[in-house]
Amino acid sequence: MGYLLHRLLLVPAPLLIVITFVFVVLRLTGDPVAIYLGQDATPEQEALLRAELRLDDPLPMQFLSFLGDLLQGDFGTSIQHRAPAMQVVAERLPATLELVALGLTFALVLGVLGGIAAALWRDRLPDFLLTALAVTGQSMPSFWLGILLIQLFALELDWLPTSGREDWQSAILPTATLAAFLLPNFVLVTRAAVLETMREQFLATARARGVGPVRALFRHVLPNALNPVVSLVGLQLGRLMGGAVVTETVFAWPGVGRLMVAAIFQRDVPVVIAGVFIVALTIVLANLLVDLVQAAIDPRIRLR
Amino acid sequence: MRRTAAAFAALLAFATPVAAQQRGQLVVGAAIFTDSISPAAGGYNTLSLVYQTWDPLVARDHEDNIVPALAERWETLSPTHWRFHLRRNVKWHDGSPFTAEDVKFTVEYVTNPRTIYVRKGRIAGIASVEVVDPMTVDIHTTSPAPLLLRGLADIAIEQKAITERLGPAEAARHPIGTGPWRYGEWISGDRYDLTANREYWGGAPRVERLRIRTIAEGSTRVASLLAGETHIIEEVPVDLIPSVRQRRNLTIDAVESSVSLVLTFDTRSPPFNDVRVRRAVDMAINKPLIHQQMLEGQGSVLDGQLVTRGTFGHNPNLRARPYDPEGARALLREAGYPAGFDTRINTLSGRYLSDVDIVNAAAGMMRAVGVRASVNVAEGAVWARMDRNKEQGPIYQVGWFSVGDADFNTVWYTEASRRNYWTNAEFDRLWLEARSTLDEDARRRAYHRMMEIMHEEVPSVFLFGLPRIYGRSNRVVAGWRPPRDSLLRLHQVELR
Repeated sequence: MGYLLHRLLLVPAPLLIVITFVFVVLRLTGDPVAIYLGQDATPEQEALLRAELRLDDPLPMQFLSFLGDLLQGDFGTSIQHRAPAMQVVAERLPATLELVALGLTFALVLGVLGGIAAALWRDRLPDFLLTALAVTGQSMPSFWLGILLIQLFALELDWLPTSGREDWQSAILPTATLAAFLLPNFVLVTRAAVLETMREQFLATARARGVGPVRALFRHVLPNALNPVVSLVGLQLGRLMGGAVVTETVFAWPGVGRLMVAAIFQRDVPVVIAGVFIVALTIVLANLLVDLVQAAIDPRIRLR
Repeated sequence: MRRTAAAFAALLAFATPVAAQQRGQLVVGAAIFTDSISPAAGGYNTLSLVYQTWDPLVARDHEDNIVPALAERWETLSPTHWRFHLRRNVKWHDGSPFTAEDVKFTVEYVTNPRTIYVRKGRIAGIASVEVVDPMTVDIHTTSPAPLLLRGLADIAIEQKAITERLGPAEAARHPIGTGPWRYGEWISGDRYDLTANREYWGGAPRVERLRIRTIAEGSTRVASLLAGETHIIEEVPVDLIPSVRQRRNLTIDAVESSVSLVLTFDTRSPPFNDVRVRRAVDMAINKPLIHQQMLEGQGSVLDGQLVTRGTFGHNPNLRARPYDPEGARALLREAGYPAGFDTRINTLSGRYLSDVDIVNAAAGMMRAVGVRASVNVAEGAVWARMDRNKEQGPIYQVGWFSVGDADFNTVWYTEASRRNYWTNAEFDRLWLEARSTLDEDARRRAYHRMMEIMHEEVPSVFLFGLPRIYGRSNRVVAGWRPPRDSLLRLHQVELR
């Protein structure tokens, strides 16, 4: 519990830095009022909207006022959506969480299985094929892969819809694209970790004591080898959110990634910050979970 | 993006048409996702959604002509006094009758100085609204207002009772309009579902349900059409036009919009304060070639003037300055630049069809005569700031739309816009005259002269009337015409 509290207390500082950075950069590089009102803007309209959005004050005052509201849980009103920013983000959040959770699960399961297989058949055909596949996957942009998958499964085979978010079928291609984005790392890291563990002295000792190969794998190799893989999950979450933006765009998936990209272009600061807050919180909590899982599978790790 | 689209084009050759949509649902793939379905918000992408559930008093048709909508006819009682006779027996989606009170309420709400309404400038000249009887409404303008009808065509009439009760923002979340479609569900960034309004004054829609999907990525949008998931898609990427064309069950519907793509000069300082240099650049660019290569020949090369051919005010006597690199070099020598000079073209990316490709091609042609232009792609918000501060560089690419009347895009070259670089007193005077009289001949003469001035003075290189390119499944058998103004008019669309 003490560890948990300690970790949670570390969250606000980086979050504050990110929020300050986002606020300053977005506000200094563009005017949300001009973007919202477009080319027909009149000075009177601009003044009115500025007053409504409290953009009249000097930037530092605006920031302090924004932080004050933030501390009370108020992320402000979206300029474009004319609705509470957190509500706008929350409406899109389930779509992204669904995509990320599915993508991560598939990448993890298939990546670990692939990595184990490559290690067990080291320097033989399965290893060669799996490693080649991983390297190919790593070098293939998600954007391109997504379009190829649409071409094959939606147009050629007519098995799946091209895009949108309607039923479970529409989640398959975006999930596959996102999973493919992460899969190679999991294959390669698992392979390396399994091979390294298999060279450890304790494994030879266990085998010498008559432990069978399957039991040795599950009882001795994997608990030791999976630690770096679990760490990788935490490290990959940030990348995953980036990959989600591309995947959401290709598959017209209505998630937070696309929302935030649009909000950045529109300088809709409240939405960007609400989105950053949610994404950062997700990553922090997921990393916390990673730590707990690591402690659970490796008795050498103590959470203090 | 262009490379990706090109690669995808190659793949499409192997694609097989599949799937049929459920009968009775029309599905449209929209290119740009808007964040609101409020009449007060956004540009024409938003208005396109707004007009599925709401109607204006008068409307534009797909060719930008003004046609009756909630007002079935109108008359001018004096140059500043308009009378609108409203359509009878029109009902709001909740069953209550539409009356003149709704029109008065909407116009007064929009023109209220305290209201934030993106297109309010379109009806800025309205002084007052008066209900004559439940089916007649009078609008008074501060001065003769030839653009009143075009302005009103951009204003959705909202129901007084509901808007007053809920407030405009809340009322707009679940629209109750008079339009052809009833609100079903709006999922921001994903889709807009609607059902047919069987009592629509313009005739019940021919299909039972409408879905407008947001598919921002062009290749995916085309794939959805190929797969039979959508019946009509907006903005087919130019690279994919041939691939769509070669499919027997698909059609490309292209129409010239009223958006004029131009390269505008900062004429306040050298070298572009010299008209000879501006003309040299105009002559250095082979517009027909770029038009063919970058726009697949869709749309048109502008006739050496700002407005497109279908726009009121187009001068039929003008033609684009011919491509003449030798003449361009001679003009540059005459202007004191025998060795040419370095310059820069600023542009946005993805705002206009093939915008970056076009500007790169133009820059290459300019370099061939000694105008060594580099291309700088600016991000949208940075661009808005450059625009605001009149710092868009020595040359910048922009598209000005007219929605059918030269007033709307000539304004950007007048002092009234506060965003002009070039200035001309006669031009400004004619612009004011043209927007202050209801005499159509006088207006036309003024615009013709304004186009002549621009042709001579070359404040911009007038490039192309940009096309709007739609993809359509042949299951759409009637009722669809590609709109010049991008507003989707779907209630008469029939599916096989």
